[in-house]
Amino acid sequence: MELLGPSALGLLALLLPLVLLYILKIQRKRRAVASTWLWQQAKRDLMARSPFRRLVVQLPLILQACALIVLALAAARPATRGKTISGDHIAIIVDTSASMSARDQQTGKTRIALAKTVARELVRSLPPGSDAMILDAGRDARIALPADRDTRRMHTAINAITARHVEGDLGAAIGLAVSRLSQQGGRRQIYVVTDGNLARAAPLKSTAVPIELISVGHPTDNAAIVRVDVRAGEHPVLKRDQVQAFLLIANYGKRARELYVTMKQRNASDTLASRKVLVKPGQKLPVVLTFNPAPGDYGTGLSFDISPHDAMPVDDVAFGRVPAGRALPVYYGVDGDPDYWLLKALAADRDADVRRGSVGQLLASRAMPHDAFVIVQGACPVGIGGGDLLVIDPPPGDCFGTMVGAPIEGALMTSWREKDDARLKWINRIEYPFVGKARLLRASSKRQELMRTDKGVVVTDISSNARYATLLGFAPGETAWPKDVGFVLFVRNLLEQARLHRSTGISGPARAGQPLRAAVPIAVKEVVVERPDGKKSKVVARKGLAVVPDVQQVGLYLLSWSAPQAGAFITAVNLASAAESDLTRTPKHTASASLKLSHAERAMTNHREHSWLLAILALIFIVFDVWYLTRRPRKKRLTEAAPAGAATGKLTGGQAS
Amino acid sequence: MNAPSTHAGLLDPSFVRELEVLRRRLEVRARSGQAGEHLAKRRGGSAEFHEHRSYCAGDDLRRIDWAAYARSGEPVVKVFRAEEDVIARLLCDASASLGMGEPSKLLVARRLAAAIAYMTLADAERAQVVVTAGGAIREHSPSRGRGALAKVLRNLEQIRPGGTTDLASAIDSIVRRSSRPGLLVVLSDFFDPGGVLSALTRASTAGHDVALCQVVTPEEVHPEGEGDWQLEDVETGERIELTLDAAAIDAYSKRFAGLCQQLRSWARSRGGTYVRVRTDESLEEAVRRMVSRSVD
Repeated sequence: MELLGPSALGLLALLLPLVLLYILKIQRKRRAVASTWLWQQAKRDLMARSPFRRLVVQLPLILQACALIVLALAAARPATRGKTISGDHIAIIVDTSASMSARDQQTGKTRIALAKTVARELVRSLPPGSDAMILDAGRDARIALPADRDTRRMHTAINAITARHVEGDLGAAIGLAVSRLSQQGGRRQIYVVTDGNLARAAPLKSTAVPIELISVGHPTDNAAIVRVDVRAGEHPVLKRDQVQAFLLIANYGKRARELYVTMKQRNASDTLASRKVLVKPGQKLPVVLTFNPAPGDYGTGLSFDISPHDAMPVDDVAFGRVPAGRALPVYYGVDGDPDYWLLKALAADRDADVRRGSVGQLLASRAMPHDAFVIVQGACPVGIGGGDLLVIDPPPGDCFGTMVGAPIEGALMTSWREKDDARLKWINRIEYPFVGKARLLRASSKRQELMRTDKGVVVTDISSNARYATLLGFAPGETAWPKDVGFVLFVRNLLEQARLHRSTGISGPARAGQPLRAAVPIAVKEVVVERPDGKKSKVVARKGLAVVPDVQQVGLYLLSWSAPQAGAFITAVNLASAAESDLTRTPKHTASASLKLSHAERAMTNHREHSWLLAILALIFIVFDVWYLTRRPRKKRLTEAAPAGAATGKLTGGQAS
Repeated sequence: MNAPSTHAGLLDPSFVRELEVLRRRLEVRARSGQAGEHLAKRRGGSAEFHEHRSYCAGDDLRRIDWAAYARSGEPVVKVFRAEEDVIARLLCDASASLGMGEPSKLLVARRLAAAIAYMTLADAERAQVVVTAGGAIREHSPSRGRGALAKVLRNLEQIRPGGTTDLASAIDSIVRRSSRPGLLVVLSDFFDPGGVLSALTRASTAGHDVALCQVVTPEEVHPEGEGDWQLEDVETGERIELTLDAAAIDAYSKRFAGLCQQLRSWARSRGGTYVRVRTDESLEEAVRRMVSRSVD
């Protein structure tokens, strides 16, 4: 038994004024009588001196209170569940992806609230003796409650579930549930409560355990920022640094939306840039916002907002940070003469600020920024600082996981990974493939091989979690490649990648639901992470990489460290998911023997209400009360024997009690 | 027999004619002990033959029934019943509560007292009006014969309601002062928290023939007017606040019935009379019940 409209129980508050009516002293008419002592039996409010009378239990009060209570219960729509669950072991998977935070236009509740209501309903429908586990399916599957029979703990676990700012993936949760339930005997059942907006649509098939998918929410119009990219550019006229934010605004609705797109700086109320745009239904509109940064703006946080907000506020905002300017510090360490061709290629990028020195000087430099582009020639120093790294012609031996081998001569470049590696992008042909002198490289995996000659691999990827690094097994001057435009493109690509990594400050994608990998100075051992909600946590940094594993919230994260040298930077985490923002989608699954589909509304409305029974009961109370109040008092024959002691003491000298 | 002149306010001619019939049926169980017209239970010197008994030495020779002696040869003496005087004491409660009702309870009580006084005086007996109100007792001197009726009625006419009820003191006072018992008629509504029954018991023990005449209004029997009231006691001024509903009326009715039952039980146990008179009922009927010494 449950109440479908529990808010109607507020009617019970009327009991207070009802009782008040019975205890309030009322204005009375005066009437002279021969004697008052015969009225002593009717003494329920005799000699009332306070504003309130003593509350005496009276039949009308009881009747009226009962009628009110029953009416309130009737209005609260008590109902018994028509839906029953059959199964000894149940898994309830609640989708907690970002789209579940959207507010449903028909019910006015968020989809996660509806899902939790459905989950609670399922728990209440559990047959006696059965157990259920609760799974929270966000980007990854989490067990909110292991298999348990205590419904109170189930309700607690369900209440604690919240929507996360992540893309949903039910596959992992279903896999986890199936693996857990497979270990159990008896009847098993998986219930999946989702809105169907999933970045990775799981097949929802299981041969072992039947699945019932209960969808919540209705198709809802929504506009979202589905992509954000902040770059450092140059003002076309002033030739000054300019921050350029590229936003992609999508309208997943049936009517055009007029939106204001604004860009603000973190902790500042002033708007840096704003645009009013009209986004047609189904359109994805690119918007560029720019501003000219001051020197102190580098690294500060930016927030983007489209207003008015709609059903899903989390995708109406996006975050970025002010990237470094085009100027890129390049530290070139070489013991001996620098490579002429390399310097020439670096000089082609007029924003590259090249500083030369020996490898020893490079290792000892404390002024080198942790995000500078570092080139080391003729050596492979392990503890070298900076950001992106290019190692040229290292000595034989291990160099960041690649074995530098024997020298070769007179080789020809034969292949390179143009399509799937940013460093070799745009290099579609090499006019001068001759390699005079080089060292063969043996990478630990095939994927690290970037460029190959007819005699072996000569360029490998030696990137680690902490930095983006490339190993050239030859000095450019020892080959004919610099004569080719491809070499300039290669160097240019390296510089652009360095700029990109410098601007984002992270090695991996900054999306909610995925670990946040931040490049920090190699010597840093511990990083303090301040989340958008102000909560702080500490993570361990290893080899220049700090990984924040639990990033469930979009916003600006502040990473700071105090040793060996204090430093901090801000990084932005966004949702930017078309799959989650498109609230018009509905589950595309088809029912089968192992998959049953239903909608929460039907599941929730499958009740037998008993309001009418209570209403009849209330009516009986009211009729009885009216009869009682309007009946004529029964006239007893005064000659009949009165109750013993009715007037005892009065005539024999006693005092009225 | 011609009806004597009466006080028009208390006894109208038709009522007097009725009383003339009823007075012969009025039986008073208490005798004052003085010689009078009412036969006494004891033997006495009246002309009413009672029995024969054997002659004993010292008997008055004039009492010997010679005819019986001639027939039986044994001297027997004729014994006659005594004839004693009767006094009716009419205790009239004149407290403020008797002023209630339309007609007022006091008027009904006075008319009843006048009727009993008439019947008593018409038999050449004595009647005495005693008035109690506000704790004070006023005893008028006893009167005898029809000629005293005017005086008695005048005494009754002068009674005005006021003050509180203290019947017990009044009854005790009468018992204390009266050297010989008689008919004690108590006319009141008996709305008296004092020890009335104890006083009545003392009077009965002293030999008084007690008749209780309770005068009530119809509203006191069946209270009406449901609602929220502030009831004010006309005697004490005490006020109580009350919601008059079915429950309250029930409680009152039980209380009132209890009061009546107390009086009724007392009358039955003591051989007295209890008559409850409503102010809206026929006075003749009430007098009939009174004369027949009934217990209502």
